[in-house]
Formats: sequence, C-alpha cells, structure tokens
Amino acid sequence: MSEEEDLELKALQRQLDDAFQTTRPRADFEEELWLRMQSRRPIWLRVRKGLAGLVEGIRESRLPSVAAGAALIMLMAAGVFTLARLPHGGGGASTAAGPISNDGAAAPGGAPFGAVPRPQLSVPPQVQGGSIAYGGAATLVWAGNLQVTATALPVYRYTEPTRADADAFAAKVGAAPSADVAQGGIGVYAGRDFTLVVLASVAQPPREPYFNVSDLKSTVKSTGDSVAVATAILAAHHLLPTWPYQTAVQTIGGTAVRVDFLRSFDVPGLGRLSLVDSAGNPYGTQVDFAPGTAGAFETGPMPLTIDPATYPIISAAQAIQSLGASSAPSGGSIPVVRITKAELVYTLVWGGDHSYYEPAYLFSGTFSNDGVPSVKRVLIPAVVPSLLAP
Amino acid sequence: MLADRPPFENLYRDYLGRIYAYVRAQVATAADAEDITAQVFMNAYQAYGRFETRNTSPAAWLFRIARNATTDHFRAHGRRERLRRTIERQPVAEADPGSMAEERLQYKALLVHVARLPERQRDSIALRHSGLSFEEVGVLMSCTEDAAKMLYHRGLKALRDSVHQEGE
Repeated sequence: MSEEEDLELKALQRQLDDAFQTTRPRADFEEELWLRMQSRRPIWLRVRKGLAGLVEGIRESRLPSVAAGAALIMLMAAGVFTLARLPHGGGGASTAAGPISNDGAAAPGGAPFGAVPRPQLSVPPQVQGGSIAYGGAATLVWAGNLQVTATALPVYRYTEPTRADADAFAAKVGAAPSADVAQGGIGVYAGRDFTLVVLASVAQPPREPYFNVSDLKSTVKSTGDSVAVATAILAAHHLLPTWPYQTAVQTIGGTAVRVDFLRSFDVPGLGRLSLVDSAGNPYGTQVDFAPGTAGAFETGPMPLTIDPATYPIISAAQAIQSLGASSAPSGGSIPVVRITKAELVYTLVWGGDHSYYEPAYLFSGTFSNDGVPSVKRVLIPAVVPSLLAP
Repeated sequence: MLADRPPFENLYRDYLGRIYAYVRAQVATAADAEDITAQVFMNAYQAYGRFETRNTSPAAWLFRIARNATTDHFRAHGRRERLRRTIERQPVAEADPGSMAEERLQYKALLVHVARLPERQRDSIALRHSGLSFEEVGVLMSCTEDAAKMLYHRGLKALRDSVHQEGE
C-alpha cells in the first residue's frame, strides 16, 4: 500500500468516526422512546414507582398493619401475574352493549381518502387462547364458510393529535401537565392521586394514540362485579369508551382482574365488526385492578375524531382466492393448516400524519406444529387492491 | 449477577445514540432507523433480567440485538428497496419530517456509501466505528478477530472506491 493510499484510508476512517459520532436521532426521540418503554413495562414495575405513595395512603388510613401488608401483596401480585401476558379475550368472556358513539356508528360519507396504506399482520410468537401464534409459511387449506354481501365499507381516518389535543384530553380527565412533561407530542400529566401519560401513534406494530393511567388511590370500591368495577374506574376519569364494545374478563394469577373493553365498529347491515391489532387480537381499553385494593391501571385509545369514507371492497370469493395465493407450496417441514374461520374485522393502519381503521378479512385455523397447539392467521385487505397504496 | 449490572436507564442513555447511528448507517430512512432502534431497546429491556456481564459486555450485547433487528428488517422489507437503490444509485429518499434535521449532518452522504456496501463489509465498518473492538466485531459476526479486520479493511477500500466513483 502506498503512503498516499494509507493516508487516504486513514482520512476516510476519521471521516467515518465523525460520521458515526454525529449521526444521532432527532432531539425528542430519546425521551419519547423512554416513555414508550415505561408505558409498556409490566404492571408490577409500574406499581413499584407508586408504592411509596400507596404505603403512605395506607398509613394515613390507619389500616391495621396486616391489612396494609395484604393490600400491598395483592397489588404486587396483580403486577407479577400480568407478566404472563395473557391474551385479550381469554377467560370468561362476557358481552355488554356499550353506548354507540359517533365514532363507530357514523354513516359512511364524505370524500374518499385516496389510496390507503395496506393493512398487514405482524405476528410475534405469543400465546393466543391456548395456542401459539404461528407467523411462518404454511400450506393453507380453506375449509370454512364465508359469505359477505356488502360491496363497500367505511374506512375511518384520524389525524395525529397535537400536544394541544393531548392537553385538552388531559384536562377533561382531570389532570394537568406535570413537571415531567416531555417534548414531541407526548404528554405526562398529574391528576389527583393518578398519573396520566398520553402517547402518540406507533408505526410498528401499529398503535393509535393512547393513554395510560396509573391510579394508585382510586376511590372506586374494587369489589363486586368486575365489569361494573372497571366501568366505575373508567367513569371516574371520564374514560369510559364512547365507541361500541364488548367486555372480556380475565382473572390474573387468582387475585388480580383484567377487564378488556374490546372495541368494535358498527356497520349498517353487517352489525359490529371487531377491531383487531396487528396480531389479529381484539383490543380496546383495558383496566387492571386487584379486588380489595386501591390501585388500578387503565390503558386505551385516546378519544379522537375519526372521519369515515366509503370504499369498495373485494368479495368473499376474492378474499378466499387471495388466501390461496398466500399459501406456501406443500412439502418439507411446511405445516398444512386448515383455515376454518373467517370474519370481517377492522384493523389500524399507521400512515404518519393520518392513520386509518380499515376493513379486512381475518382468516384463522388451528393446527399442531410438531405437537405444539398453534394458530395461523392471515389478514387479507378488504379494500379493493386498486385503492391500496403500493 | 444482578449487582454487576448497571441500571437499564444508564445503558439506554449511554448507547441510544450509538445504536441509532449503527442502524442508521444501514437503512434507508431515519424513520426506519427509529423503528428499529425502538425495537432494539424494547427487546433489550425485556431481556435485561437475563443479561449477565460475565458473559459479554453491555455494548456487545446491545449491538448483537441491534444486528439481529436490522437483519430482520431487511428480511421483512428491505430486499426490493435495496435492489432498487443499487440499480438507480440514488441517495436514499427522506420523506419524513423527522429526518430534516439529519439532512444537515455533514457526513450523511458518507453513510449512504456505507449502506451500499456488501452486507458483511458494511456490518464490520458500522460495528467498528460504533466503538467496538475487532475482537467484539468478530464475535458478533461469528468470525475471528483477524477475519473481522480483513473484512473491515476490504470494506474500507470498497468505500473509498465508491466515494471516488461518485466524484468522477
């Protein structure tokens, strides 16, 4: 290597050092991501931060020490068993009709939004109703029954909320910006005995703007019917969903309770279509509490105005054809899965400044994957391909 | 041992920038880099309870997670886009507002050239200039320290040639 070449490479190395040292994320990213991570912490870690306040509350109430200890244990148990990450909708599901909001029941209308982004599943390995979600290739055999008469369905769009929107929402909940306020469209608020965090949309896996409430001294009596307790907890913060929902109750670890208010969209002629996440699970607002203790945790979509527009959809036969097209050739270690269930659902598709709730056909079938009970899900966009962004 | 581990927040604050730069040198947009970096730290956060310092350094552990996440990203989304960019030989597109600040960085163009290198050369350069030793680069890339050095120097020469070609 000549001296000139050697110098040239050393100069390049210096430039690379500088390039890597000066390439950094935008200023707000560090705090945004940290808050996102905090909000997704297992509940017991979230509880830990507030335990000092809880202990203080118990002391103030002059409860006998045994009762205070029991309350702490119950609350911690609620968190510890949440680590099991039980799936949405598992356990003894019940149904209840919620109030119908303008969100879910709005009549289709208005100008279409142009080509909309394509919905898709991203299935991490996780337990779903006793089966492991399988995201790999599979040979799919259609063995179900799907009949859809609708030829068009509404697509719903929302605009990413601003910091001012988050502030207004927090004010409605009864919280004011706290000293911990972060930059970049994320708000941290303090209310009387609770903390509210408002987070912006997440691109992957898609998530709409949502709130987390850490309620350490809830005044709601947390015994009795679980749905009634959860409803009262949400109502106390004006967080009861305004969209149609079904409730599902899980007992977590024998002591704590999770109540899911699973969101759906009312579609004229078709009834209620569930909103599913990127793994195909229904979701909505969630309340965790341990009966007999004062704490509760609530998380759910931030209330937003959503605009509908009607889009033509593919037929059931075309959806089944697309399902077949996504099937892998049989052979080798590729599992063969009988797809026995299909339904129309809504799913969130992140789009930047605007995101969408779009209709889709959700197919699923269970199978044994080397002895492991597994479920395969396939999501086929319902909007006609010509109106899906490439 | 738990006592040997620094609080996760220390790791997060210390390494976020370096991990982001490592990822950013390989993917097309700042938005992709943010998404992957977020995934890296989410995964690391979940796995931190099992991390043991006696087996590996925090840096090597985090960069391993980052390397896997970047590979997953390419598997899922990248192949067609990378081929298109290679054919067109255009600088990567930046459409998101968050990348506007990054546009001002002096060395962005150089990282575009890094992103065009063959995968293992690109990886060796990105890991080395993210502050890892050649020994750590070798461990992460499943090769010897000497092989890591060789890959790096080949990558460096390829990078120089790429920069020269564009200047001609």
